[in-house]
Amino acid sequence: MTEVVQNIAQPRVAQPHITVGNLNLWYGEKQALKNISMHIPKNSVTALIGPSGCGKSTFIRCLNRMNDLVKNCRIEGKVLIENKDIYGADVDVVELRKQVGMVFQKPNPFPMSIYDNVAYGPRIHGVNKKDINGVVEGALHSAALWDETSDRLKSPALSLSGGQQQRLCIARTLAVKPRIILFDEPTSALDPISTSRIEDLIMNLKKDYTIVIVTHNMQQAARISDYTGFFFMGELIEFGQTRQIFHSPKEKSTEDYITGRFG
Amino acid sequence: MFNRNYKEKTIESVLFSVSALTVVILLLICLFLFRDSLLLFKETSLLDFLTGKFWYPTSVNRQFGLLPLFFGSLIVTAGAILFAVPLGIASAIYISEIAHPKVADALKPFIEILAGIPSVVFGFFGLVILVPAVQNTFNLPTGQTALTGSIMLGIMALPTIITISEDAISSVPSTIKQGSLALGATRWQTIYKVIVPAALSGISAAVMLGMGRAIGETMTLMMVTGNTAVIPSFPGGILDPVRTMTATIALEMGEVPQGSAHFHALFAVGTVLFTITFLINLIADLIKNRYRFKVD
Amino acid sequence: MELSSKVYEKDHKSIRAQGGLSMGLNARTNERIAFTLLTLSAMTVAGFVVIILAYIIYNGYSVISIEFLTEMPRMRMTQGGIYPAIVGTVLLIIGSMGVALPMGVMAAIYLNEYAGETRTTWLIEMAINNLAGTPSVVFGLFGLALFVKYVGFGSSLLSACLTLSLLIIPVIIRSTQEALIAVPNEYRDSSLALGISKWQTIRHVVLPAAIPGIITGSILSIGRVAGETAPILLTGAAYFLPRLPDSIYSQFMALPYHLFVLATSGTNITQNRPIQYGTALVLLSIVLGLNIIAVLIRRHYRQKLQI
Repeated sequence: MTEVVQNIAQPRVAQPHITVGNLNLWYGEKQALKNISMHIPKNSVTALIGPSGCGKSTFIRCLNRMNDLVKNCRIEGKVLIENKDIYGADVDVVELRKQVGMVFQKPNPFPMSIYDNVAYGPRIHGVNKKDINGVVEGALHSAALWDETSDRLKSPALSLSGGQQQRLCIARTLAVKPRIILFDEPTSALDPISTSRIEDLIMNLKKDYTIVIVTHNMQQAARISDYTGFFFMGELIEFGQTRQIFHSPKEKSTEDYITGRFG
Repeated sequence: MFNRNYKEKTIESVLFSVSALTVVILLLICLFLFRDSLLLFKETSLLDFLTGKFWYPTSVNRQFGLLPLFFGSLIVTAGAILFAVPLGIASAIYISEIAHPKVADALKPFIEILAGIPSVVFGFFGLVILVPAVQNTFNLPTGQTALTGSIMLGIMALPTIITISEDAISSVPSTIKQGSLALGATRWQTIYKVIVPAALSGISAAVMLGMGRAIGETMTLMMVTGNTAVIPSFPGGILDPVRTMTATIALEMGEVPQGSAHFHALFAVGTVLFTITFLINLIADLIKNRYRFKVD
Repeated sequence: MELSSKVYEKDHKSIRAQGGLSMGLNARTNERIAFTLLTLSAMTVAGFVVIILAYIIYNGYSVISIEFLTEMPRMRMTQGGIYPAIVGTVLLIIGSMGVALPMGVMAAIYLNEYAGETRTTWLIEMAINNLAGTPSVVFGLFGLALFVKYVGFGSSLLSACLTLSLLIIPVIIRSTQEALIAVPNEYRDSSLALGISKWQTIRHVVLPAAIPGIITGSILSIGRVAGETAPILLTGAAYFLPRLPDSIYSQFMALPYHLFVLATSGTNITQNRPIQYGTALVLLSIVLGLNIIAVLIRRHYRQKLQI
């Protein structure tokens, strides 16, 4: 099994941006990720699918070391981003998270104004006061939120609709100028119209960013991603081009999942 | 990056030091109380102090016997608990199980206010209202009695008992409650056969903490109990003046020469008081933890 | 589960004993009696509050005047105002909060944001619980032994402030912890995910969100400082001092001790009654005013969060 996974998990990609090698993760005694290896290509959308509890969210949190915050969490293996092991001894986690942004499942803007939400990261990272306006406007433009909010930047972020809040969270992430953005089921709390706006946005963003998205919505993965990985019980069962995964899966369990026989 | 990590580490160490200071304070309290108490035992033996029946700190044959003060505290606290526990638990049940949520919300500020009234104001109120009332009702030479202290102390212990019992009662899972109701039990049957037993450890902790509050109260008692250091008889002593450990410290400390045996005797009383409340808190903590475990 | 089955057994027997469903009547009557008693209990408690407040306000309000609030006591405290006692209480509040607030908030931040489940943490938590339950007169003794005698600050404003601050540190720690726990973890995660360090996340996101709770807790402990008598009695409050304290090393008057003195010692206790009521009312107004402000702040922010 392991051998097969490793073979499939390395599609011939132009430029790998993230390389994962034999990644294992335990929560206390329980092993949540088993021997994951894969290349995630640059400037593309990589979707991770699988039934709930399969480890896909745990995995994505390894890529910006958010699992460091979990008690009793132990990790083995390598995660290389731009050929640097992010679990190496000399790595500054704070620096890493600037490079690898993350958008969460539930829209979670800070209880501040729209403007302050976006300006929060750049301000703390020491961007010049006079440049902040530009950064905020740029980020809101990129997140396709500028037109709706330019006239009320000072109103509280919590007054926005759910979909707008999620785009604000994306803008907030963009303002820090990461190179990779991780999306952890970003639309599962949103209505279909807001969802499709976010999907459009993600497809636009891949010009400039490498995107990894966890979703349990298979149609979403099929619509927006270039590559898809199928997780099951802590293992990466199959990884390849999205078209291939959805039309000619090599593994029986991938096919079962995609055709809705379980999950 | 090195700079920032250094800063983060420094901040964490500073925060840790400040919180560790609480342990240091507790140790210092023990140290200073014991230190000054021990000096008493040059003059009086520990046994004589703990079992002595007379507190005559300033007479020629001075005696430092704890018992009159200890029993003074005991009788007043017992009276307060007898009065406050049923009333407090009943109110907690009413607020969490029976009252309309709007009524419950309206009642809670009253309890917060009761908790906020300074003890010297309670004492003043007791002095001008309750003392004459007790005197007239029982036809006594003075209304400054253990009973008067118990009633005031009971009122003061109510907020502690009500708030903590209410927490315990509200945290009984509603599934248990529904299980009972679904069997055709009335709400009242459900309350006294299911909810109160399930919340019992929390309620016991509330009673312990209420007791801790009562035994440590000073000003109110100084103002309404008459401050006579005599071992109260039982049960008739409830209508006699008494003097508690706390009142003794506050009353006499102002007039003793520092470093005298009397001064050290007051510290010894303080040490006894501290030990008692320490044990009460410990027991309350243990009960509470067992209760959490049970609910999980 | 065990409990419900017990109920079931008992009720099952009683159903049979009373001939099936007709048991309803008796149980209903019991319930009505019990509920009436419980309601009466709660109303009695509320009644205590109303009576105490009404009595003090009714007797005290006519005494309150600008002169009463701004003049020194005169004629062995039988005339004049309570100005130095008010100033003393305000100074106590400023001094003890100045020490206790930063310390309490810092300790709470450590316990809530940094501490792991270690033995040291357990020890600190235990110490806080015990400090919170220690009687105020014991704090007074400790302040006397440490600050007045050992350190040598003497019977002074400084000694009293330090003693009171020890008394309220546990209160501030607990209320700050509660406020910090109420800040959703998502705020912390999303700030950390932006590459913001832990301390900066606490400073810029967690603390601002917890501020209303911290303020509420602090205001309640200010009420505590204003009302405590036993600790200041032992560490620096003056029986009578018709002037303001001129340094942190001087003695001072304070409202609660002043009320105690007026009501229990002196030669003109009965003649002094109006001044006693007035002092009690001023003290009560300060403490309850603070309580009301705390409640309003809490309510204001709760509504704001519900948007």
